[in-house]
Amino acid sequence: MANTLRSRLASWDYILAALVVVLLVTASLVQPGFSGGFNFANSVSQMSDKALLVLPLALLIIAREIDISVASIAGLSGVVLGMALQAGLPLALAITLAMLAGTLCGALNALLVTVVGLPSLVVTLGTLALFRGLCYVLLGGAPITDVPPSLITFGNETLPGTYLPWDIVPFLVLAPLFALYLHRTATGRRTYAIGGGPEIAVYSGVRVNRIRFGLFVVSGLVAALAGVITVARTSQAAPDGALGFELDAITVVFLGGVSVLGGKGRMPGVCWALVLVVALRSMLQLANVSGYAQGAAVGLLLILSLLITNTTHRIHAALTSRRLRKVPVPRPAGP
Amino acid sequence: MKCRRLIALAVTMAMGAAVSGCAADAGTTKAKAACATGPVTVGYLPKLGTDPYMTTIRDGANDAANLIGGEVFYTAPSEATGAAQIAYVNQLIAQKVGAIVISGSDLNGAAAALKKARQAGITVISVDSDVASDARSLFINQAKSDELGSKMLDSMAELIGGKGEFAVLSSTETAVNQNAWIKDMKARLASDPKLKDMKLVTVAYGQEKADVNAQKAKSLVQAYPNLKGIIVPAGIGLPAAAEALSQTGDLGRVKLTGLAPATFIKKYVHSGDVQDIWWNVRDLGRLSYYAAQALAQCKLDAKPGQKFSAGDLGTFTVGANGEVILGPAVVVTPENVEDFAF
Repeated sequence: MANTLRSRLASWDYILAALVVVLLVTASLVQPGFSGGFNFANSVSQMSDKALLVLPLALLIIAREIDISVASIAGLSGVVLGMALQAGLPLALAITLAMLAGTLCGALNALLVTVVGLPSLVVTLGTLALFRGLCYVLLGGAPITDVPPSLITFGNETLPGTYLPWDIVPFLVLAPLFALYLHRTATGRRTYAIGGGPEIAVYSGVRVNRIRFGLFVVSGLVAALAGVITVARTSQAAPDGALGFELDAITVVFLGGVSVLGGKGRMPGVCWALVLVVALRSMLQLANVSGYAQGAAVGLLLILSLLITNTTHRIHAALTSRRLRKVPVPRPAGP
Repeated sequence: MKCRRLIALAVTMAMGAAVSGCAADAGTTKAKAACATGPVTVGYLPKLGTDPYMTTIRDGANDAANLIGGEVFYTAPSEATGAAQIAYVNQLIAQKVGAIVISGSDLNGAAAALKKARQAGITVISVDSDVASDARSLFINQAKSDELGSKMLDSMAELIGGKGEFAVLSSTETAVNQNAWIKDMKARLASDPKLKDMKLVTVAYGQEKADVNAQKAKSLVQAYPNLKGIIVPAGIGLPAAAEALSQTGDLGRVKLTGLAPATFIKKYVHSGDVQDIWWNVRDLGRLSYYAAQALAQCKLDAKPGQKFSAGDLGTFTVGANGEVILGPAVVVTPENVEDFAF
């Protein structure tokens, strides 16, 4: 009993949750304006598009793949949305086209990884540049500002009567779905199996490439949705929309306890990490800490988090082995 | 199991915070039409926090604040995009500043957030680089935009004797000012008979980075053997291009002009191979501060034809579309280069 409790306390999800609580309490006490609804709405809205990118990235990294082209896909989908709107298409059709563009981008990544067999880091490094370049080729320098008011409202207003911004709603709908997929379906377990050992998964009858293909396509689709939100938030389709978002998204995934080597990590941890980064950035923003120092703080948080898990696991393992001298030490879960 | 319950709890708490937050400070989002009775805090929101142009504007604003009261609050985004400025606009709203002075990274990126600020009763003006005109009341411009494009072109004509090929090395593809100047240059090249022998061969982009500008300047000289000059309308680009071409020995055969802080390219101006169009940036900071205070205290109505006083800078008149112009830009030559503090 004491053991399960201790292993649970040492689990990364709980450490993150504790960090979040500590940060929120400190910030509310120390930083004037932090606990207000206005700041809550803005801080959440600020991360709404990046938050979406985190979901498919977590799945891909658990499956020992990566997609660093997500922000470029978001940018390109935003450009497609803008051009469709400029051409006078209705909003619903324009968004559909943008999502289609994102899905195609994802399918291209998927093809190159699963059919051609290239490593995903290299493939998506290439498509990162390719899709971003296309944004500039299609748009030139001038952003498209023909964004309908309904979309701008979606990106800048809150649900009536609350401080919950509209643009976080897609994430709130998708996050539980992704968690259900990963933790409650057979395909989810197979995703872990692929990350744990792709060859073993193949010999166990898992259709590895099929799952990988699906994950990359979903990544493209969700990235396109993030691109639509970026357009809504910034009231324009710019060629540099969502530029550099992949770094924040990958940071959150690793911070959330997903292993770089694949096969490990849980959705709740990733969600806590997201809340942690949002809260930290919001606190620093209100303290008028410069953008450069904010980036440094998030980087430092990632390094510290890895150090903390490492140390807690060691202490935990040492304690357990002293108690149960001859019983084999169970390996604690975590990054 | 526990884990999920905890998350459910957290979500409920967040929702609760969202809703209760609503009850707690719903009043602040209402417009407070009241005028400030004394000097207010003015939030300065630059494109990039470290840009020396912007820190000079801040210093000028501080000069004015020491004279007429109030306070300058300077923020520092790390990416030069309109989207990156949104968080900073919201920060300034949350801190309840009296006025926001923004140099827009692009026209629309932060416009929706700025409109929120105006709804909250905050005076919004743009300086140096404009934002959407319904998101601000005044635009404090260093010089007339079309005048700058023309001045750079005249300077290039003077340097290369009104004849031959030249290129433009701009900042980024989306830069609002630079694109407007380039458009004006192209229009005048097509229409002005005095410039009929000058040919704009290409527009390259230095991405606001010194190394990229140096590299692009060198490759322009390589790619166009008959190139006689490059116009570099960007503060980081002109010194970098001058440095790069002086290293390769091409400076002199290829002349440079553009926009940059005069102190950055002093030694090249002295050689006569480089000219520069510039103005007193510190004055721009002072003017923006005077305008922000006058608006916040309702001493000025942001309508064309209205006048306001900016201390020893003199009296300024609001022009069409809410534009206020600091004054004509000056061509920096070996004779006057020592007069510029920045």
